[in-house]
Amino acid sequence: MTVTALASPERGGTGGRPGLFRRNEIGPALVAGAVIFCLILVAVLAAPLIAPADPNLPDLMAVRKPPSAANWFGTDAVGRDLLSRILWGGQVSFLVAGVGMVGSICLGTLMGMLRGFGPGWLHPIVDRIIDIQLAFPYVLLGIAITSVVRPSVPVLILLMVLAGWAAVARVVRAIALQERAKDYVKAAEIIGASRLRIAAFHVFPSVWPSLMVLAAMQMAAMIVFEATLSFLGMGVQPPTASWGGIMLDGKNYITTSWWLTLLPGIAIMMTSLSLVLIGDGLEARAERLRSREADK
Amino acid sequence: MKRYVIRRTAQAVIIVLAIAITVFVVLRLSAGDPARIRAPVFASAEVVEQYRRDFGTDRPIVEQLGTFLLGAVQGDLGTSFRFHQPVTELIRTALPRTLALAGCALALSLSVTIILGSLAALRPRSIWGALATILATVGQSAPVFWTGALMVILFAVNLGWLPPGGFTGVSSLVLPAVAVALSIMPTQLRVLRSSMRGVLREEYIRTAQAFGLSDRRITFVYALKNALLPLLTVIGVDVGYLLGGVIVAEVVFAFPGVGELALVALNARDYPLVQGITIVTASIFVIVNLVIDLAYALIDPRIRMEQS
Repeated sequence: MTVTALASPERGGTGGRPGLFRRNEIGPALVAGAVIFCLILVAVLAAPLIAPADPNLPDLMAVRKPPSAANWFGTDAVGRDLLSRILWGGQVSFLVAGVGMVGSICLGTLMGMLRGFGPGWLHPIVDRIIDIQLAFPYVLLGIAITSVVRPSVPVLILLMVLAGWAAVARVVRAIALQERAKDYVKAAEIIGASRLRIAAFHVFPSVWPSLMVLAAMQMAAMIVFEATLSFLGMGVQPPTASWGGIMLDGKNYITTSWWLTLLPGIAIMMTSLSLVLIGDGLEARAERLRSREADK
Repeated sequence: MKRYVIRRTAQAVIIVLAIAITVFVVLRLSAGDPARIRAPVFASAEVVEQYRRDFGTDRPIVEQLGTFLLGAVQGDLGTSFRFHQPVTELIRTALPRTLALAGCALALSLSVTIILGSLAALRPRSIWGALATILATVGQSAPVFWTGALMVILFAVNLGWLPPGGFTGVSSLVLPAVAVALSIMPTQLRVLRSSMRGVLREEYIRTAQAFGLSDRRITFVYALKNALLPLLTVIGVDVGYLLGGVIVAEVVFAFPGVGELALVALNARDYPLVQGITIVTASIFVIVNLVIDLAYALIDPRIRMEQS
């Protein structure tokens, strides 16, 4: 039992649950980000209830009307209410970015852990795959895949995962290799714990805080990436439009109808910004906890 | 060292080859039939067949792949279906523009990063620190095509200072380069700011302060050299991201570079052109990464020991 006793102080730092909601641990960036994100999320989820009009109902009597009391965000080239389109379109954006984020976090963690604790012959292979993935331009990847398959929600999610997992894997790999050298892992090895067990129960808790930061940052990047693909015409096909798709519709009227470009862009930017703030806040918090741990 | 160089170079060649074959096979198997797309709508079967013979798409796929690879090694990437010009020639006109755009964006982003990032690390609570934080968070959240579009509205349409798109000389580079720079700057800014913070805590900096050197001199002359190394790594990793951003900017600004060419080629099912562009860009990434890896091995002996 002396062995586990030896191991515990090392583990305590990152493995324990350091009071997530204790007031002094949460910075203003985290609060601001979380509030903005929740507001947008609720508005988008409640689209069927709060959207003032049918997002796909054209009205040729009210084409490209600037924002007014009747249409707060104005109307698009075929007279559809822009506010309703943005609210409904957010569902597509959130679905693709959210599921894509979860997928890339899972695949990235798996690959990173495999690099840290898998069989040795796999190491160079995993390293090379990560290198290639990181170096490859996602937009080209998008062009290549959507040239072959008709873009739909599952295809876009797959693209998000492909574009995002390598960055996660790199971080997890670094932490796994760092933790592997520590005494508590050696201790666990000595008492005969399997590598899978060590990876899943002993090392994973140390990866967790970084994963939270990555999740927020990844989702922010994916909101932007999905919008980019849609803007290039590689997104979900009309009439269902995500935020990028709405901007694509407005592209030809950029000189005359500014709201068609500006407003969906603000939706994208605020969502992504709130997630970046959450990520930054979580990272700063993890750093504070780490330095406090070091002071003890 | 020699063995390491040979091994990494061989790996790079294999990667390029693998990408080339994958792109070829995937495009041939699943995209539409280029003969049908190029031929007139009501063309008879014989006419379509004639197009196929011209394009060489009537041969077995393995033979097509062989011909293609043999040509590629000799610098012949085939003839574009759409433009009826050699692919290499089309790429040769477009690539310098794209590289110029990427280079300008990178240079712009790096100069702002170095100045602003260092100042922000030196005085986190000053206006520079706030500006760096704003640029880092907002730049990361705003899509390239959106900032690009807004700049077109403001500077080209309303103020008329710069051309809204196309390529009419150096002034056409300004807006796209700024848009791309804004999108790649956040990562660089974060990395430099945090590495600079670390370096400024080192003892040799305290020594320099004790000697009475000014803070700016210490930061930009003595600390910067050491703080730059992590930034170089990030640039290497971000090459793909940079070119992705450049492609998007090219589309938004109708800038006639490789990215725009790729989209045109794709919509026309112009296989040789898509293939050529993918292989050329993939080779650039692989080469840049190879050079960075080798440079690291040269600087840091531990890396080449570990690898061999």
